[in-house]
Amino acid sequence: MAFISLWVVLVLLLVAIFAPLVAPYPPQTTDYGQQLAPIGSPGHPLGTDTLGRDILSRLVYGFRTAFLVAFVAEVISVVVALSVGVVAGYRGGRADGALMAATDIMYAFPTYLFAVLLVTVFGRNFWSVMAAIAVAGWVTQARLVRAQVMTLKKRDFVEAAQGMGAKGPTIATRYILPNALGPLLVTTSFAVPAAITTEAGLSMLGLGIADMPSWGAMINEGVRFATSSPHMIISPAIAFAVTLLAFTWMGDGVRDAFDITSEGRR
Amino acid sequence: MGYLEFFGRRLARVGFSLVVISALTFTLLQLAPGSFADIQRASSGSTGMAGAAAQEVAGQFATRYGDDVPAWQQYLVFMKGALTWDLGPSYKYPAQSVESIIAQGFPVSATLAVLATLIALAIAIPTGVFAALKQRTAWDTGSMFVLTLGHALPNYLTAVFLVLIFAGAMHVLPAAGWDGPQHLILPVIALAIGPLAVLARYVRSSMLDTLSEEYVTAAIAKGGRPGVVIRKHVLRNSLIPLVTVTGPMLAALMTGTVFIETMFRIPGLGLSFTQAASSRDMPLLMGTTLFFAIILMATNLVVDLVYGLLDPRVRAESGRKLRGSRISRKDVGRPGAGSSEGSRAVVQGLG
Repeated sequence: MAFISLWVVLVLLLVAIFAPLVAPYPPQTTDYGQQLAPIGSPGHPLGTDTLGRDILSRLVYGFRTAFLVAFVAEVISVVVALSVGVVAGYRGGRADGALMAATDIMYAFPTYLFAVLLVTVFGRNFWSVMAAIAVAGWVTQARLVRAQVMTLKKRDFVEAAQGMGAKGPTIATRYILPNALGPLLVTTSFAVPAAITTEAGLSMLGLGIADMPSWGAMINEGVRFATSSPHMIISPAIAFAVTLLAFTWMGDGVRDAFDITSEGRR
Repeated sequence: MGYLEFFGRRLARVGFSLVVISALTFTLLQLAPGSFADIQRASSGSTGMAGAAAQEVAGQFATRYGDDVPAWQQYLVFMKGALTWDLGPSYKYPAQSVESIIAQGFPVSATLAVLATLIALAIAIPTGVFAALKQRTAWDTGSMFVLTLGHALPNYLTAVFLVLIFAGAMHVLPAAGWDGPQHLILPVIALAIGPLAVLARYVRSSMLDTLSEEYVTAAIAKGGRPGVVIRKHVLRNSLIPLVTVTGPMLAALMTGTVFIETMFRIPGLGLSFTQAASSRDMPLLMGTTLFFAIILMATNLVVDLVYGLLDPRVRAESGRKLRGSRISRKDVGRPGAGSSEGSRAVVQGLG
């Protein structure tokens, strides 16, 4: 399952990167002669929406939006989580206290609430949506890194390095960091579908990135016509579901690869 | 650490978090470019109100909070209002106060959340128990696979599929609206599926843990009938931890109805929140945000306190580290179930 998912994710990634080559039309092009064309119409294999925009093209560009947001958000979130987590775990004290306080606050503030507030304040643009996802995600990852670092710093090889006279920053980056990366990779591979979900969710509420096509926006526009023109939401919903499942199963595979204890339990 | 001290520390942390969250919300919204009046002017004709009316509303806000006083004084006014349950009029619906909008929306959201929780529990417990008893059979792997599907998809996507099937193809249930019990069915199912998946896995792994305990082996060795052993020894011990998951889950659902309410056009708190965000109805947005945060924190607090009462080890560790390790053992890799962690997982499961 994990390997099939990996291939699905790779194909989707290629589609996202080469969207202009894959999509038959630019995503915003309207065809007023062909509004609400059903699936299988000539020239529009997945039909068109109320404005006559080609659904297949919007779907393909929607992949692009989703991957771009998820990728940038995860890079930022991982970098922040690593730096805060290593400092909090290695130095403890005040940095640790601050991380715990931040955790408390973020736990009382559901991701999407925070995302909605940020987008309300900074506008429906790429950077605010992405910042919203990164801000919401780093806390869990930072806590994980912190826990890893706290166990690693008592290991023999770290103490040996200390005994040899290595300085704090060297130990943290050379000896502890590489060993803390495995579990972080596992949470990150689950965080990517979560980021995609948040992006689509914001668009579903009409609060997504204003000028980029998104599955969430397609569902939001199409759901009112669910009974009369279901083709407007069928293909985005299926594409969305396939993407999320592929990422989830790939994440399961990554986790199983890193964790021997979970074998046989699932 | 004594229970009172534990209690005091948790309470202090909740108080601190609430102050930070309210201050954060208040500051963020001060920064917001594009005032309510501008938004209304831009969209007047369709949904906006007339420019004069919008200006008047903004004027009312200014008299309530003071026009040229520093932001921190306005914040104090806001907090005083929040503490005395007086949040002033909404921008968009000037005839209504924010607290009355919250009071109207909350029962609707609560109904959805309670029904969804009940359904999730009613299905998850037997499913999890069965899967654990029939471990490694087709029933076990099959039900767990289906639950993975439910867990991986956000509730609004599940809702889309439900609408397509039951409203689009079969025409048996309405696609949206809020008018009678038939409008409850699809939203509640869509809400219940995510938590159901989390709960069922939790029950299953909790059952498996208990089944391998020595006292269960002992009970069977003494000649207890399997049915009796399972009912008296296994079920009772493996279902107690559910308390800690269900509380935060209910809170998460109560605040997590945003997508479902928006999609099905259900007049609950979540819809008010979304509408306030898109029309920049700042008083309503601040009010609903604070209310959501209070619900979540209060529930997490209660669960922690109950848990601290039941399990002294949690007190000793001040609640954090121990639960962390418990989770990583139970539900490896995925932020799983267990007090406030659980609510986070469920919230994320909700999208």
